[in-house]
Amino acid sequence: MLGIVLDLVIIASLIALAIQVVSGASLFRGIIHFIVMGLTLALAWARLGAPDLAMAEAAIGAGVTGALMMVAYRRLVEITPDHNPSRTGSRSRLALPIAVGAGGLVGLLGLGATLSDPEPGLAGLAVLEALQDEALGNPITGVLLLYRGLDTLLEIAVLLTAFLAAVAVTRREDLDYSITTRDPHTPLVGALLAIIVPLTVLVSVHLLKAGSHDPGGAFQAGAVLAACGVLLVLTSRVSASSQSRPLIGLGIVAGLISFSLIGLAAMLRGEPPMALPGMWAVYFIETAMMLSIALTLVLLFAGTESLRRNQHG
Amino acid sequence: MIDVALPAIVLFLLLNLVAGMIRVYRGPTLADRMLAALLFSTTTVASLLILAEWMAIPALRNVALLFVMLASILSLAFTGLPDRHDDEAGDS
Repeated sequence: MLGIVLDLVIIASLIALAIQVVSGASLFRGIIHFIVMGLTLALAWARLGAPDLAMAEAAIGAGVTGALMMVAYRRLVEITPDHNPSRTGSRSRLALPIAVGAGGLVGLLGLGATLSDPEPGLAGLAVLEALQDEALGNPITGVLLLYRGLDTLLEIAVLLTAFLAAVAVTRREDLDYSITTRDPHTPLVGALLAIIVPLTVLVSVHLLKAGSHDPGGAFQAGAVLAACGVLLVLTSRVSASSQSRPLIGLGIVAGLISFSLIGLAAMLRGEPPMALPGMWAVYFIETAMMLSIALTLVLLFAGTESLRRNQHG
Repeated sequence: MIDVALPAIVLFLLLNLVAGMIRVYRGPTLADRMLAALLFSTTTVASLLILAEWMAIPALRNVALLFVMLASILSLAFTGLPDRHDDEAGDS
């Protein structure tokens, strides 16, 4: 009973927040409401029993997108200081009926889905059965790497493509000065970094390792590591550079290359492509993917193709 | 007893969140909205920890850990914003 009340409160706040995100009076309000919506969404995933998604929402929402929007907002204010970034323009009269109609349709579909098919799909059951024999205790990691290896590989390739496209269109000199926080050299920032940076690295490795038997895995761990990088960029410990570095280039493609090579090597042994030789391969690929995902997200955040370390006295 | 108490606590925390949304909505300064959002992050962490116990999903504690760790990023990104009131039309 209380559970249903809880769910209804979450649903109602999500809808109210979503309305504020798209139709709030100012851009900044929209950003804050979006951040709060991310928190509520994590609670919704938790209630649905999907800790993997809650984890991804927490890492991406709290670590990367919120800061990205804040920095973009600041940039916007700097470009046009006189312009009040409130939303102007009239709203179409059709907006409300369309929104209500779309919401009703989604509700109807959800209702139909919950009423019609209480049995889990046969394919899902077969996969769960087969995964019992593997050493991977977390079915999500198992499906991502053992059954959907090609899809996961293509996801990494999509991330790389997005990065290349972003590098092709960014002008770095515009971004550099507006991305850092105001006083990056106050002692408080240094103390914060001394605590947070080792902790994020530790937690991302923990999530990566947990991914083989519990919720977690390369994507969540990569997002946490990326948040650590974003923190370093924001505090100008690391900043954009146009000089390309072989180590960074290698890090960006590490996930794609190691996954492809290990997947193709299976064909030499006469097995189907993307068959993994054992648990060591799972851990190796997951680690390489984590590094690539983290590095790509940080570079996308900084809007640059390479990074350099700043010296601080 | 504990099966009723835990969801009741989560519900109480959620209602706190809803009450806090009024501050986010009304402002009036950017810092007010930002502080309220950061406070939400703390409330969400508390709710997640209790949900982890109630729903018996220990992995939710990891989610709570992530929120605690990453909350500082938002405040750092925020402190670069220029000082100005969020004086948009139609407010208050």
